[in-house]
Formats: sequence, structure tokens, C-alpha cells
Amino acid sequence: MTVLPTDYGALLRELQRRAASMRQPVSGVFELTERCNLSCRMCYVRHDARDTAQRSKELSSAQWLTLAQDAVDNGMVFLLLTGGEVFLRPDFFEIYIPLTRLGLILTIYTNGTLITDGIAQRLAEAAPSLTEITLYGSTAAAYEAVTGCPGSYARACAGIEALLKQGIPFGLKTTITRQNVGELEAMRQMARQWGVPFSGAWLLSRRRDGHSSDVEYCRLSAQDCVNLEATDQVSADEWLETAFRESSVKSDANFYCQAGKTAFVIHSSGAMSPCLTLSQPAARPLASGFRTAWEGVQRFVDEAPPPDSACLACDARRYCPRCPAWSSMETGTLTDAVPYLCEIARLRKARYE
Amino acid sequence: MQYFKRSNDFIMRNVGGESLLVPLGTRVVAVNGVIVLNGTARCVWELLAQERSLDELAAAVAERFTVDVEHARIDVQRFLDEIGRMRALQP
Repeated sequence: MTVLPTDYGALLRELQRRAASMRQPVSGVFELTERCNLSCRMCYVRHDARDTAQRSKELSSAQWLTLAQDAVDNGMVFLLLTGGEVFLRPDFFEIYIPLTRLGLILTIYTNGTLITDGIAQRLAEAAPSLTEITLYGSTAAAYEAVTGCPGSYARACAGIEALLKQGIPFGLKTTITRQNVGELEAMRQMARQWGVPFSGAWLLSRRRDGHSSDVEYCRLSAQDCVNLEATDQVSADEWLETAFRESSVKSDANFYCQAGKTAFVIHSSGAMSPCLTLSQPAARPLASGFRTAWEGVQRFVDEAPPPDSACLACDARRYCPRCPAWSSMETGTLTDAVPYLCEIARLRKARYE
Repeated sequence: MQYFKRSNDFIMRNVGGESLLVPLGTRVVAVNGVIVLNGTARCVWELLAQERSLDELAAAVAERFTVDVEHARIDVQRFLDEIGRMRALQP
């Protein structure tokens, strides 16, 4: 018998490696809503919190629980609940509490702004293994310059304090943009003072649904990305993508991660895809049953065309984080090169070779 | 004679052929991880669905894994001690 810590990243990778050969759908994401109470300009998914048309498309709590049981019966063990903002759903605990009895290792992604003492108390009764809160700045001015919502910084801090009071394990992460990159050290210091882990991401893509976003205004230049990741420890997560890439660079398969092999996403309307940033193939597990939908997602991944020949021949390929989801969001194809990532890959190659 | 039965606060799950005990409810934070079971431990955990004595468990393990009962008893006792510390046995 061995006791493994629920370090979501390390444990997930090791177990996924073992599950991949069996195509066990061990790792699920339920995107409970695409609506959010914040208005971050760089977000790849966000709809307004009051968007009733969007809300009407969301699955009911009963439907989520049907899907969860079906997924568990087919091998799901890890489940991430994300949005949008999950706590916008007034029925969140009608979904969450039954999930905690299924033998799942649960993670919640949230901006923390809607976590009250009452919500933290309910979470503490059956806490997720991990909660990750995205922080956007170290002061109200900096934070709200990103989120566009007055008062959101104070609410996020109150949510964090509520989790701390209840002893609920959580980590802080940030989405680094041109607007808050100068806040990185101060945010790290906040995490240190709270005694929680801190991570960051800055590879920001366009919207998943193809609608226009302000991501070009928000994301770092390729040069700034490479400079930052070379000098800041918070870059570790981003570099993991490259590590995955290196392990599969001999293969011409377009999907080189666990998407569609052991991992799946069910979006707020009930459509299933291999990853959060990809809408296709929009299998329908509620209609067909989980097993049939999962097989459809596997076929989509297995039969995906190879990357563009220019990408396969590129001498900076091992430094490139392009994947079919990135191609889809930036070019509308599953295969084409993404100029922003090409630039990052070439700059990484120049720096490290 | 002392009898043992597993707690309802853990569920055994399978990932890629590995058996895991996943804690539920308030045990999630207390355990802060999952318990990976080897073949013997999995066998004992399954038997612990009902009340069992150490002798019963050792005999079952000895038969299943073709080891002598004394060695099986030592393995089973060690496993019971470990999961007892994690409160994975009913009091």
C-alpha cells in the first residue's frame, strides 16, 4: 500500500500515462456554465452573468448528475468543475454534494469573488481535493483593470479568507496579461502571505466560439513571453507543455496530449469534446450515452489530420506549444500554424540553442 | 476476537489497472491524497466489505496468493494498521 499526495498535476500525469493504453476516460471536466460575473477582456469563453439565452442552454443539475454517474461507470476518477464562474449557478451544491459521494478526486476553478462564509462552510463539509482561484492583480486598481468590475478585488480577497478560515486547500494562479504583468511579484507575495501555492499562465488564445475578443490587446508579445519564462519560476506550468511536446515530437499525430485519450470535457450545453478550448466534435453523451460519446471523441482525435507540413518540418517544433485546439481558435483549422506561437517557438530556440 | 470492517468514507476506484482508495467527505482534507493498493491490499479491502477477523483475512490471502499463513498474517496486520491510522476501518 502506498499513500500518494493528491498533487493534482503530478498524480494525474502518472495515472493518465497508465490509463492511456486502455483509453480509460479517467479525467473529466464539467464546464458548468460559460457565464461569468467578471468581464476579463482576454477570456476565451466568457458570457455575461445575466445572459439569459446562454443560461437557458446550460444543463440542469439533474442532467449533470446523470452524466457524472455514467462517466464514473466508464472510469472517470478525476473531475474538474469550471466555468465561466461555477458559483454563479444557484444550484451549484445540488450538483457538487452528490459528486462528492462518487469516489471522485474533485477540483474547482473559480475567481473566488462569490465565495461567502456560507459557501466556504458548505464546501468544508466535503471539500474538493483542490480549489484554484485566479487572481488578476495585487491591488483593487490593478485587479479591476483586468476584470472590469468595481469591487471584485475585495470580493476575491474575502473569498480567499473564507476558504482559509474553513481550512479548505486551495492555490492561487494568475492569467498574465500586458495589463497586469507588472503585478506578478506582488501577487506571488500575496500567495506567500496566505501560505498557498502560486502559478501563472500567459499563453492566451482567442475565443473558442470564434467570436472576436481583445486577446491581441491583452496577451504578451512573443518576446515578452520568452523573456518572462526564462527569468520567472512561475513559468514552470507553461514549460510542461513543451515537455509533453518533446516526448511526442517523433510522432506526427496532431493530438499529442491526453485529450481524447484519457481526458474529455463536457461543455455547459452538454456537448463533449477532447479539451476545454475545443468545441468539436460536440458529441452528445446525454442523448447517446457516455460510452458512445467518448468513442466519438476518441475517433475525432485518432482521425485528426496531421499538423501542417510546415509545422512538421519546422526546426523549432520542439519549442512550440501549438496543438489542434490552438489552431482551431486562431486559424479555424485543426492543423495550421499559429503565427503567434511560431514566433514564440523561434525565440525559444534562439535563446536555448 | 477482534473483527474488522472497512469504513464507508472511502471508495475503491481503478485507474489504468491501479486500485486507489479515494477518501470522501471530511476525510478528503484529512487524508490529503489517495491510497494506492497492491494486490494483497486490494484483496483484503474487498474482503473487508463484511466483518472479518485477522485469521479469516490471513487465510484468504494465503490461499489466494499461495503464501504461508504466517507471512500472510504479517502482511494483513500491517495493512490493517495502516488503514486504521487513516480511519479507513469502522471503529
